[in-house]
Amino acid sequence: MPAQPDGNGLADLQHRFAHAVLQAPLEVPDGIRHDVRPTRERRFGVYRNNVKASLAAALAARFPVVERLVGEEFFTAMALVFIEQHPPRSPVLAEYGAAFASFLEEFDPAADLPYLPDIARLEWSRYVAFHSADASAADIGRLAELPPEALGSVRLGLHPAMAVIASPWPIVSVWSTNTHDATPEAPAADWTGETALVTRPHLDVLVQRLPPGADLLVAELAQGIALGAAADAASRAHDGFDLATALATLFGAGAITTLSQGSSS
Amino acid sequence: MINRTTTVALAAAVAAAALMSSGANAQTANADKEKCYGVSMAGKNDCAATGSNSCAGTSKADYDAKAWKYVAKGSCAKMEVTLKDGKKRMGTLAPM
Repeated sequence: MPAQPDGNGLADLQHRFAHAVLQAPLEVPDGIRHDVRPTRERRFGVYRNNVKASLAAALAARFPVVERLVGEEFFTAMALVFIEQHPPRSPVLAEYGAAFASFLEEFDPAADLPYLPDIARLEWSRYVAFHSADASAADIGRLAELPPEALGSVRLGLHPAMAVIASPWPIVSVWSTNTHDATPEAPAADWTGETALVTRPHLDVLVQRLPPGADLLVAELAQGIALGAAADAASRAHDGFDLATALATLFGAGAITTLSQGSSS
Repeated sequence: MINRTTTVALAAAVAAAALMSSGANAQTANADKEKCYGVSMAGKNDCAATGSNSCAGTSKADYDAKAWKYVAKGSCAKMEVTLKDGKKRMGTLAPM
């Protein structure tokens, strides 16, 4: 058993060390001293455990509602599977967890909670929004001041921290009661889908429900489509779309930052 | 191209939206929430009245009586927490 790092020296040892820390079966990399007590397996095991436990703790801090829904014990076990399948690709811990939602879709033991991936998406969007660039939200008064004939061609710029998560499940209700209430309330009797709007107009991340069809309006606006055409597309695609409610919600949440006149109408 | 009807409809929608937003703007998402003291777990508070911690997410003890978090309006006084010594108490709308 070789006890010393080979020709490539430290860099090579570090590479094998990093690999062995997250690998499933415990295999102490060559080059770790073995003439010590307690055994090198136990000593390396402490190291592995610390790395995994801190990654699991970071996930729990990032996805508190997912943790509350499945329980602490289940969450930790699930996080360890995730860490094994999706080890960090970046040295920045703050970037870890982007793949958690899609992992949950494939994680059979959690299949009883089909809304879990969308809850994770909502929590990740909140987290990303928290770290996004600042921008000043535009007041709806600026839109109301425009002459009526200019409204159709105005382009609305979206806030960099804004995110929309459409779900077939009532994710805003589930997220909200599990975030604010000591005892979660049972969700509404009609277990209908909700679309979450995540914004951070100032220092706080806000989560609210988007009215039906408003996500389509946002998708159009995000492509730089002018308000008139975007509203047309949303009402064609969704019968219940109400432009006034959609605009009030978006401006009220600080989702719109700029108004600009496009060249074509 | 935008026809006359669409322009009128747009103007009406924008005016209605501006009306809906006035007043609602300042309150935004926390409108249906109230500050509830003494119910937040360590590190899970939204803020605090004085002293014990600086603000959001910084309380050091479970159910710190001076730390508050937003809860659904009307639910604060109904919230019961079990303290470390096994005693139970309810949340309050003012710091304890």
